[in-house]
Amino acid sequence: MDLDRTTTALLTALFDPKNAAAWEMFDRRYRPILVGFARNCGLKDNDAAEIAQETIVRFVEEYREGKYDRTRGRLGAWLVTIARYRMLDQKRRKGVQRIERGESAMIDLDDERSVTAAYEAERRQAVLREALDELRTRSKTDPKTVKAFEMLVYHGMTTQQVATELGMSAHDVYLAKSRIAAKLRDIVQRLENEYEESPGDWESTGRRPSAGLEA
Amino acid sequence: MSSASDEFDRTLHRASDGSAPLHRAVSDDDESTRGASHPIGCGRFAREALEVLAVSRFDRDVVADERLEAHVVVCADCANALQELERELGEADAFLGEFKTVANVSATTSQRVPVASGDDGPIRGYQLGTEIHRGGQGAVFHAEQIATRRPCAVKMLLGGKFASDKQRLRFEREVEVVAKMRHPSIVTLYESGIATTGEPWFAMEFIAGERLDEFVRAKCSSARLLGALFKSVAEAVAYAHRRGVIHRDLKPGNILVDREGTPRILDFGLARLDDASRHGDIDGGTTAAGEFLGTFAYAAPEQLSGDPSLVDSRCDLYALGVVLFECLVGQKPFSGAKSIAELVTQKTMSSPPRPRSLVSSVDPDLEVIALRLLAADPARRYDTADALVEDLARFLDGRPILAREDSVAYVVRKTLRRHWIPASFAALLVMTVFMSAIALFVAYRNAERERERSERTLASFQKALGSANPETGSGSSSMGIEDFLGLVEQQVTAELGDEPYQLAGVLRTLGLIHLGFDDAERAKSAIEEAHRVQEDGWERGEVSAAQFAETEFALARLLFNLRDFVGAEACYRRALALREAALGPDDVDTVETLRQLASALRAQNRLEDAQAVLDDAWLRSAKFPDTQAARVIRVGLLHGRATLSAARNDAASATVQYEEALAALLQMVPADDWRIGRTRYNLARMQLRTGALEAALENATAAERILREKKGADATMTREAASLCETVRKISVDGDG
Repeated sequence: MDLDRTTTALLTALFDPKNAAAWEMFDRRYRPILVGFARNCGLKDNDAAEIAQETIVRFVEEYREGKYDRTRGRLGAWLVTIARYRMLDQKRRKGVQRIERGESAMIDLDDERSVTAAYEAERRQAVLREALDELRTRSKTDPKTVKAFEMLVYHGMTTQQVATELGMSAHDVYLAKSRIAAKLRDIVQRLENEYEESPGDWESTGRRPSAGLEA
Repeated sequence: MSSASDEFDRTLHRASDGSAPLHRAVSDDDESTRGASHPIGCGRFAREALEVLAVSRFDRDVVADERLEAHVVVCADCANALQELERELGEADAFLGEFKTVANVSATTSQRVPVASGDDGPIRGYQLGTEIHRGGQGAVFHAEQIATRRPCAVKMLLGGKFASDKQRLRFEREVEVVAKMRHPSIVTLYESGIATTGEPWFAMEFIAGERLDEFVRAKCSSARLLGALFKSVAEAVAYAHRRGVIHRDLKPGNILVDREGTPRILDFGLARLDDASRHGDIDGGTTAAGEFLGTFAYAAPEQLSGDPSLVDSRCDLYALGVVLFECLVGQKPFSGAKSIAELVTQKTMSSPPRPRSLVSSVDPDLEVIALRLLAADPARRYDTADALVEDLARFLDGRPILAREDSVAYVVRKTLRRHWIPASFAALLVMTVFMSAIALFVAYRNAERERERSERTLASFQKALGSANPETGSGSSSMGIEDFLGLVEQQVTAELGDEPYQLAGVLRTLGLIHLGFDDAERAKSAIEEAHRVQEDGWERGEVSAAQFAETEFALARLLFNLRDFVGAEACYRRALALREAALGPDDVDTVETLRQLASALRAQNRLEDAQAVLDDAWLRSAKFPDTQAARVIRVGLLHGRATLSAARNDAASATVQYEEALAALLQMVPADDWRIGRTRYNLARMQLRTGALEAALENATAAERILREKKGADATMTREAASLCETVRKISVDGDG
């Protein structure tokens, strides 16, 4: 199945109500992003999960009703719009009994830049996560190279420390690093295309701020 | 298949001498080494040497070829090549750095690890490991502080990712305060920062321990061990409070017990930071109700009130109360609540169940301490965590705890503040009578405890009464005292519900107080109830003769007051028999019983019998020790003799005897004591009869003034004195006319 290759293919497949695989794929790809996005907006895990669920259901409904117009914005922007309304709604529903304590870290849902940044951060995470997974499981990269990469990235070790630890020369570590970087860059680039949400896309639709995280 | 890994393997096993042309051709599909086979720069040095030099610019530990270092200074080609390599390396680092925020686990678990990244790597100075815990507001990771190699835990506050600069600044400031705390039971904070990914983080000591509740369940078998554990926790809380740091989120999950059995409190002072990110959850939502309730169960009612100004360090005491309650009985105090709203209502409006009603084996002192901590009104908890520490220390030493009677003292204090009980007499009466009640009900406990408790109760009562200010007093006396007695009754009924004999003792005392304030109806119900319970107990041998005699005596006084003089006589005689047997014939209380018996006989107009009893009492009183109580009884006997003379219409003798009694009384009590008022009233009556109108008017007026002040304007005695004044004045005027 080529569903997981492009979002376009996925969207087409979603038109078919019986296509469980399409639904599953869409869900698998976007639910974690939406949950993380809602959490970035300040929701707790359970509420975030609820928002993700509501957003996906609503999107599929609207999509099948033909309400989603790709020319008006990317898929992510559409999802953000739905999720934002769901969050505002949830806030309203619960807001009556809400007891104020201290300052709220919930981001301002009316501030499009912050909301978009919160989604974009999460979407990028998903891409990176998938890329890393692919590197490990499908790229046949030498385990020792991966090990060197992990030590550098996750354990904050210096090139020399990794070299000593793994019995390599500093140059070997350098090679391992550039090799991994090149591979990951390719995978990420491909995945960005599949998710159709590269930063450039946001800019072209005028939806992504140049520096959303500084909002 | 790709030859890349094969090639890389060869690379790994090849020794590098740093001078040979090391670069080898690699397969074309390996982009990471694209162009690697071509020399770069001027070609005088191998590509690898330049690459190592580039790496050395990022990692000082990497040693580059010194000759090349010198060469790039003069060779423009190699300098440009090096610059290009450095740029690529920087880009690769930046790109790979992005992955620091992605879980270092297989994607199948899809767990995101938000490791902070900076330009220099992950959280500077720390090596992050696995995720220990993840909550709504953050995730905690195993970590190692690289410089010291000490294990630690790093917490990332996820909600703070998009926080404002102001919030970040506040976070850092708060951490600064908290980091200065050094206490064996508070987990030390090492440092904090804001990661470039936006999450605030802080590093703290790593504790390999169990949650407090789990530890207690598995390893804390006795009340003593639990008490000791709690004392350590309370000490840590007291330490922080003294530094102005409030935890605000104490719960079993935030208190770990380490391998040595020392409790360690986590996240001190950080709850406010957490609050900010958890904010969106504070509502009555149903989705995660269970989770909300889990957290809110530990919040003090004032924390849920929506008015932050009401929250002070005592919210931590409430949370400790919930934790203690949970450790005692294995459930939370308001475990039945199904929503936040319900929980708030329950916390504010109702009292938690008594732990012993759920688990009968719970230690009574720990129960009282837990309930004290769980008071909805912060003013009814301990004033400070230090006070809790002190009480736990008392508990551990086997000394009596302060929590129990302090709650009664609180009622007294509170009432006196609201309604000044008008005269110091009233306060004195309350204190005196109430003290005897307290002394009696603690008689059930061991002697050591009794004495200390009585002393402390006395002290707290005196303090409470001393704080009452007549200058600011207003309102009627009956209002204040009724209010007060009602509160006391509620309080003791609640506290002594499962100790009927003690409760009876207090009820009897309350009845006497009611009687002292001329409220015969309330006095009757209280004293009769006390008598019923204690008679039952005396027959079973569970109440001592002295105890029961006290109640008989109270019942007699009640009946006398209700003008049932025959009934009163019978009760006095029973009390007399009990006291003669228990205390001896010459005891002050025994003689006092005789005096009262004489009054009952006199009231029945059996004046000869009364005289005989009074004479007997006077003889016995000769053997009294020289104590204040003994002197009071002797004055009473003088007074009794005078009253008897008056009953015989011997006004002349009565006048002399009342004057004697008055003189003796003035040596013992202040001139405005109510007993002075009563005696002067009686004296005035006799003087009226003997025609000494001037003296009668003076005494009657003084009596009326004193009694009005001490007993209240509505008291029978005051009204009688007022009426006597009027009579004397009338007669004086008539006589003049």
